Amino acid sequence: MIRDVWTVVWKEWQEFRDQLLSLRRGGLSALILALILGVVAPVQLGAEWVQSKIIVAYWPFLAATMVSSLIADSVAGERERHTLETLLASRLSDSAIVIGKIIAAVLYGLGFAVANLVLGLIAVNIAHAETGLILFTAPRLIATIVLTILASLLMAGIGVFISLRASTVKQAQQAFGIAIIVLTMGPLLAFNALSPETRFRLATRVGALGETRIIAYAVTLLGLLSIIVIAGALLRFRRGKLVLD
Amino acid sequence: MPSNDFAIRSEGLTREFGAVRALDSLTLDVPKGIVFGFLGPNGAGKTTAIRVFLGLLDPTAGRAEVLGYDTRRDGTAIRTRCGALLEHPGLYERLSAADNLEFYGRAWHATRRERRERIRELLTRFGLWERRDDPVGTWSRGMKQKLAVARAVMHRPDLVFLDEPTSGLDPVSTVGLREDLSALAAQEGVTVFLTTHNLNEAERLCSQVGVIRGGRLMAVGSPESLRARRDSGRVEITTHGLRDDVVGELRAWPGIESLTAEDGRLTFSLGPGASAAPIVAMLVQHGVGVEEVRKARATLEDAFLDLMGLETGINGGPT
Repeated sequence: MIRDVWTVVWKEWQEFRDQLLSLRRGGLSALILALILGVVAPVQLGAEWVQSKIIVAYWPFLAATMVSSLIADSVAGERERHTLETLLASRLSDSAIVIGKIIAAVLYGLGFAVANLVLGLIAVNIAHAETGLILFTAPRLIATIVLTILASLLMAGIGVFISLRASTVKQAQQAFGIAIIVLTMGPLLAFNALSPETRFRLATRVGALGETRIIAYAVTLLGLLSIIVIAGALLRFRRGKLVLD
Repeated sequence: MPSNDFAIRSEGLTREFGAVRALDSLTLDVPKGIVFGFLGPNGAGKTTAIRVFLGLLDPTAGRAEVLGYDTRRDGTAIRTRCGALLEHPGLYERLSAADNLEFYGRAWHATRRERRERIRELLTRFGLWERRDDPVGTWSRGMKQKLAVARAVMHRPDLVFLDEPTSGLDPVSTVGLREDLSALAAQEGVTVFLTTHNLNEAERLCSQVGVIRGGRLMAVGSPESLRARRDSGRVEITTHGLRDDVVGELRAWPGIESLTAEDGRLTFSLGPGASAAPIVAMLVQHGVGVEEVRKARATLEDAFLDLMGLETGINGGPT
């Protein structure tokens, strides 16, 4: 099973690599993003870019966005490009295919975040060499990486779940976009619907929790949601249905 | 024969999609080690049969065994031992030919060395080695189809399903791929289950064929035996100086059925007990030169069209 999962991860990475190396197919956007996020922003913000609390939310969010741009193509693209049935006719199990695709996407999101963190750290230290060595604090860096993995995992799980029945990449991306809007805007709208007093009380309570507990809750929530979504995707992945869709 | 002499055995295999019955009580035995052609028009149920045999679809009724494994229960075991080229080549067009084969080699747990050697062997055999690092998306359809066949046999399967492998190819690519398939079947000793509506292809490649229409198996046997059904009693006489009055007389001749006369060539069926000799004598008596008398040879296409319920002329198209 593990060997089969890595086989799928290997194949997905060959395709990602092709996209990244081709300027026309996404390499250029990745390069521009890396320049803005990994060089321009760190140079402008200096030590703040490294030491801000916001990185524990910022990088997981960006990594999840990168995963979302990829996962629909990874699943619905197999159907659109007529490779799905051949894949299903192989000896690879349903779970190896689903988990392999999810892991490949998570590694992509994590790779994106880590590459930018490293690039940014180098850029900050070169541009602001006069202030001495600037480093991330270990707990915050670990929290950022764990949350990046979980946010990417959740996004990849949702992407697979939604894309399984889409006949084209475009259709999958549209459905995925709607799901993301509902997931991100829903809580914000619900928060705004509360009375100003309730909102204030809630914000004060969350603020009082402290960084560590907020991160712990976020890890638990993302972890649980990821398990539910991935279990749903595994249940939804049925060869007989996929062949006929 | 014991069941392990068969690559495929199905009994009353039925698959319905709502009101449509794609397979209707299909009972079929395909011996191991042969190239079996599954012939039928579009929508006859050929692709559905392959999907059921591969365990991708469950039958609505009946059962099938592939390499001794039940298609309902043992889908993974079947897919482990089979290769498939389905309706589409199913290649990753952004990847190179070598990477496409590498992926499926890994999927079947071939070692690094086995993969490397097998990729070289197959790409060389199919004349694709020089382009092994090019993205498959830049290739011609014929090359892709060859690569898809290579992928289907990458893991040395016991049984390969090829769903219309030469469909959409130009004549030169078709002949090339057909030769490759023939050599492959002989060299690898693999059982090939080939669906096609190209009867010429089936006749050249297959030692047994089955004809399917509307999900029902109409006939099964060697191409010769199917042709023989159509051949019986058909005679062809090549003449010169054939006149309309002689043709008119032949039409009234007892025992002659479905006579056609075209460019001095007479083709007809002989009824029970009738013989060609008195007919030849009559032609000579009327001053008609007889150049050749032979038993007309029906093509597999004639036999196929007969089974499809279409009238044909011998060696001609539907009439």
